[in-house]
Amino acid sequence: MEQLLQHLLNAVVLGGTYALLGIGLTLIFGVMRVANFTHGELYTFGAYMAYALIGPLELNFFVGLAIAVMLGILLGIVIEFMLLRPLQKSDMDTTMLVTIGAWIALQNMELFGWGGVAKSVPHPFPTDPFVIGSVSVAPLRVFVVCVAMVLLVSFYLMINRTTFGIAMRATFQDPEVSSLMGVKINRMFTLTFAIGSGLAASAGALLAPVFVVVPMMGDLVTLKAFAVVILGGLGNIVGATIGGFVLGLAEELGAGYIDSGYRDAMGFILIIAVLLLRPQGLFAPRERTG
Amino acid sequence: MRTLIVLGISLLSSVSYVHASDPIKIGMSQPLTGDIAAAGTYVANGARVAVEVVNKSGGVLGRQIQLILEDNKSNPKEAVATAEKLLSGDKVPVILGAWGSTLTLAIMPRLLEYKVPMVVETASSSKVTTSGNPWVFRISPPSAIEAKAFGDTLFTKFTPAIKKADMLVVNNDWGRGASDEFTKLMRSKGVQIGAVETMAPDATDLSAQLAKIKQSGGDTLFVTTGIEQLTLVLKQAQEQRVPQRIVSTGGSSAPDQLIEQAGLAANGSYHIVFFAPWFPEDAAHPEVAKTFIEAWKKKGYAAAGLTDGFRGYDGILTAVQAIKDAGKAEPAAIRDALWNVNVKGANGDIKFEKAGPAGQESGQSIPNIYVVQIKDGKVVKP
Amino acid sequence: MTERGIASILVVLLAVLPLAVNNQYVLFTLTSAGILIIAAMSLNLLLGYAGQLSLGHVAFFGIGAYVSALCSLGFEFYYGAESPLVVPSQPVWLALIWGIVVAGIFGWIIGKLAFRVRGAYFVILTIGFAQVSRMVALNWVSLTNGPMALNNIPPLSGWLPGYGVVPLSGRVENYYLVLAFGILAYWIISRIVHSRVGRALIALRENESLARSVGIKVTRYLVLATVVSAAMAGGAGAIYAHYVRVIDPDVFLFIYTVTMVIMVMTGGKGTLLGPVIGGLIFGIIPELLRHMVRPELQLILYGVAMILIVFFLPQGIVPALAKLGDRVRRKSKIGKTGVLKDSLTT
Repeated sequence: MEQLLQHLLNAVVLGGTYALLGIGLTLIFGVMRVANFTHGELYTFGAYMAYALIGPLELNFFVGLAIAVMLGILLGIVIEFMLLRPLQKSDMDTTMLVTIGAWIALQNMELFGWGGVAKSVPHPFPTDPFVIGSVSVAPLRVFVVCVAMVLLVSFYLMINRTTFGIAMRATFQDPEVSSLMGVKINRMFTLTFAIGSGLAASAGALLAPVFVVVPMMGDLVTLKAFAVVILGGLGNIVGATIGGFVLGLAEELGAGYIDSGYRDAMGFILIIAVLLLRPQGLFAPRERTG
Repeated sequence: MRTLIVLGISLLSSVSYVHASDPIKIGMSQPLTGDIAAAGTYVANGARVAVEVVNKSGGVLGRQIQLILEDNKSNPKEAVATAEKLLSGDKVPVILGAWGSTLTLAIMPRLLEYKVPMVVETASSSKVTTSGNPWVFRISPPSAIEAKAFGDTLFTKFTPAIKKADMLVVNNDWGRGASDEFTKLMRSKGVQIGAVETMAPDATDLSAQLAKIKQSGGDTLFVTTGIEQLTLVLKQAQEQRVPQRIVSTGGSSAPDQLIEQAGLAANGSYHIVFFAPWFPEDAAHPEVAKTFIEAWKKKGYAAAGLTDGFRGYDGILTAVQAIKDAGKAEPAAIRDALWNVNVKGANGDIKFEKAGPAGQESGQSIPNIYVVQIKDGKVVKP
Repeated sequence: MTERGIASILVVLLAVLPLAVNNQYVLFTLTSAGILIIAAMSLNLLLGYAGQLSLGHVAFFGIGAYVSALCSLGFEFYYGAESPLVVPSQPVWLALIWGIVVAGIFGWIIGKLAFRVRGAYFVILTIGFAQVSRMVALNWVSLTNGPMALNNIPPLSGWLPGYGVVPLSGRVENYYLVLAFGILAYWIISRIVHSRVGRALIALRENESLARSVGIKVTRYLVLATVVSAAMAGGAGAIYAHYVRVIDPDVFLFIYTVTMVIMVMTGGKGTLLGPVIGGLIFGIIPELLRHMVRPELQLILYGVAMILIVFFLPQGIVPALAKLGDRVRRKSKIGKTGVLKDSLTT
C-alpha cells in the first residue's frame, strides 16, 4: 500500500512533464502536419541553456529558467524559418526526414560544444524531501509539477480564450479554409512551432536540475513524446495531456509490479494495445487513415 | 564510383612503408560519441597521457609511439569498422579497446583473422576471456574477479555488517554480470538478497525501482552503472529517503564528479574503484601513480576522469612494455611478449594469467581494487 | 541507357573491384554497406512503391539476425512446460532460412495489425514495434542472452569441390556473397514491381481511395508487400549476424532504420536503383569522414548532409539523373524521349 502510494505520487510527477512534452509535439503535428523529431533536441537545448545560465553564469535560478525557455523559443523559430518553411508544400515523409537530420546534427553539436561529461544544474531548493507518512517527494519536484501545471493551464486558456488560439484551432481543423478566413498561415506556423519548442525547452530546463544534462538526453524524450501523442490521438491537446499522465502511470506501475526492464517499453506496448483495440485512439474521434 | 576511388586512394595513401625512424603505431578503439562518450573520452585521454609520457622518456626501441584513436560510436557495428580500419588500413601491431564487453566481443573475431593482439582496458563479461581467443589480454577485472576481491578484502570493512543486500544495475552485460556475481558472493557469505532491479542505460527517472528497493528491508544497495546514472540514483534515493547504504561497483563511479553533481546526496556512499587518485601513496607503485596524475593534470583534463583514465594509461604502458620485450613491433612477437610482461601500472602489477579453454587461452591480469567513501563532500578511506 | 543497363554495369564494376583493389578495409566497408543496402531495398518496397513509411524496419532486420544466430548456435526455449524445448545447433544456411521465414511471419502479423492505420499512426506503430522488439531481446535473457550478447556465431559456409564445406569468413568471400544476395534481392524486387502486385501497390500509393474503388484489395497487397519486405530485411539481418558474428539488442537501434531511410530517400524512393546508389553513398561517407574530421563533426556533417539532400534532391539522385539524362537527350535529339524516365520511375 505504502509502495503503491509512492508509485502513484511518482507517476503524477512524471506524468506532468510527459504532458508538457506531448502537447508541444501534438500542437506542431496538428497545425503544421510535421512529425517533429527535433522535439527532444529542444528539450536538450533548454536543459543546456539552463545549465549555462544558472551554472557558469551564476544567474538567479528562476531568471535562468525563464531565459533558457526564451532561447528555446528562438531556436524553434530559427528551425521553422530555415528548415520547415521552404518545405511547406512537401509531404510529411520529407519534413520528417529533415527533422531527423536536424536532430542528429543538433545532438552532436551539443556533444561537440559541451563534451560528453554530464552537467548538473544547481538549484535553491532544500534537498531534504517532504515526508508524509512513508511517502516522500523532493521540494524541487513539487516545484517542477507546479510550474508544469501552470504552463498547461495557461496554454489551455490561450487556446480557448484568445483570438490567436481560435485562429490556431481553425488552422488545426482546416488550413485552407482558415487562410481564406484571413489567418496568416506563415505567421501561424512560426508561432505554433515557437510555442511547441518553448514547451519542450521549458520541460528540459525544468528537469535539468532534477536529472543531469547530457547530449543524448533528448533521444528517449522524443520517443516518449511521440508515445504520449499517439496515446492521446494525434493533434489532440486534451488527449496528449491525459496521455502524459497515463504513460507516467503505466511506467511506474509497470516497473513497480511487473518488470523494471520493460519500463521504457510500457508506452509502446500501450500504444500498440490502444491502436489495436481502439483504432480511433483513446480520445480522438478523428479519422485515423489521414 | 568516384567516392569509391577517393576512398581507395585515401586508404592506399595511409599505408606507408616502415622506416626504422617511423613511429610505432598503437591502435585504439573507444566510444567518443554516443551514449558512453564521456567515459570513453576519459580512457582515450589516459592513453594520450601515457603516449606523451613514454615519448618524453625516449619512446620504445628508439622510436616514438603514435596513438591512432578511432571512434566506435558506442555501437558494435562501428566497433568492427574501427578494427578493420586499424588492422587492415593502418596495420597497427597491437590495439587497445574497446570500452565495454559487446564492443570488445565484436572486435575479437577480427583479431583471430588478422593475428594481432589486443589489450582490453574495459570489459566486464567473462566471455571476453573464455571464448578461446588467444589474442586477447584483459587488464580490467571481470565482474567475477571484482566480486571475489570484494569478498576477500572489503566485505568485513562495513559496520554494521551487511545482512541483506539489494541490487540496482544497468540493464546491459556489465550490470547484469555484476548483479549475478555479487548475488552469488553475498549468498556465499550468508547474506540475504532483497530486490534485484534493472534500469535501461538511458533511463533518467528511477523512482519506481527505488520505491521497490525502499520496501525490501535491506541494509545495503549495490549499484552498477555509469557515472551519469549513478548520480541520478544517489539524488533520487535521497529524495525518496531510501535507507540502504549505497555501494557502487564496477570502478567507473568517478567520486569527484559525484560530489560535484549529486552534492549532499553523495554523502555516505561507498565506491569500489580500481584506481584511487586521492591516495597515490597507497598504490602498489606510488611513483607510477603520481607520474600519471601529474601528467593528467598538466594536460588540463578534469580530475574526475582519473578513475577511468588510468585504464587507458595502463593499457598503453602494457602494450609498450610488450613491444620493448619483443624487441620489434610485430603482432605475433608482441603477443608472445605479453605473456611474460610484468608492468608497473597505475593500478598495480600487470601480468597475465591464462583464462579460457586450454590451448587457446586468453590473458587476464588480476588488478587491485579499493573502496572509498564520500564523507562531508570529501573522498576518504572508510 | 535503361535502369537495367546501369544496374548491369554496376554489378560488373562491383564484381571486378576486389581484383583491382586488394584492400581488406575497402572490401569490409563495401560489404557492410551492401548488407544495409539489401535492407534498404526491402524498405524501398514499402516506402517507395507502397508509399508507407515504416520507421520500425530494423525490427525485421534484428529478428532475422537473432533467429539465424540462435538457430546456428542452438538454444533452449522456455515456454512454461517442465522441460524447455531444446533446439540443437543447425547448419548455418538452414539457420539463415529460418531467419528469413520468421521475419516474414512477423511481417505478416505486423502488416495485418498496422495497416488498420495510415500516415503518422502507422509510422509510430512501426517505431513502437521496433522498440518493443528491442526490449524483448534485452530482457528475455534465457533465450537471447539479453545484453550479454550472442557471440561466436559461426560464419556462413560454402562448399568447394575438393575442400568440402569451408567457413566463409574471409573478406573477399563475404564481399561476393553479399553481392550475390544483393543481386538476388534486386531481381526479386524488380519482378514484384513489374508484376500485377507492383502495379496495384503503385496505384494505391498514388490514390488509395481510387485504388480501392476500382476493386484493388488494398490491405491484402500491403500485407503481401510487408511480408516480402520483412523477409528480405530478415535475410539481411541474418547475413549481418553471420558476418559480424556477435549480436546484441543494439541491432534494433533506431539509427539503423534512419540509415536505411536515408539510403532510400537519397537514391530515390520508388526506383529500383535508388537504394543501391543511396546505400553506396551513405555506406561510404561515414568511413571517408573518419579520415577527415573529429568524431562529433562527422555526425554533424551526416545530419547536415541529410538536410541538404532533401532540400536539393527532394526526389533523390536517380530521378534527378534521369531528368538530366532526358534533357541532354532531348537537346541532342537522339534517343527516345521518356524511355529512360519511364523505366527509371516505375
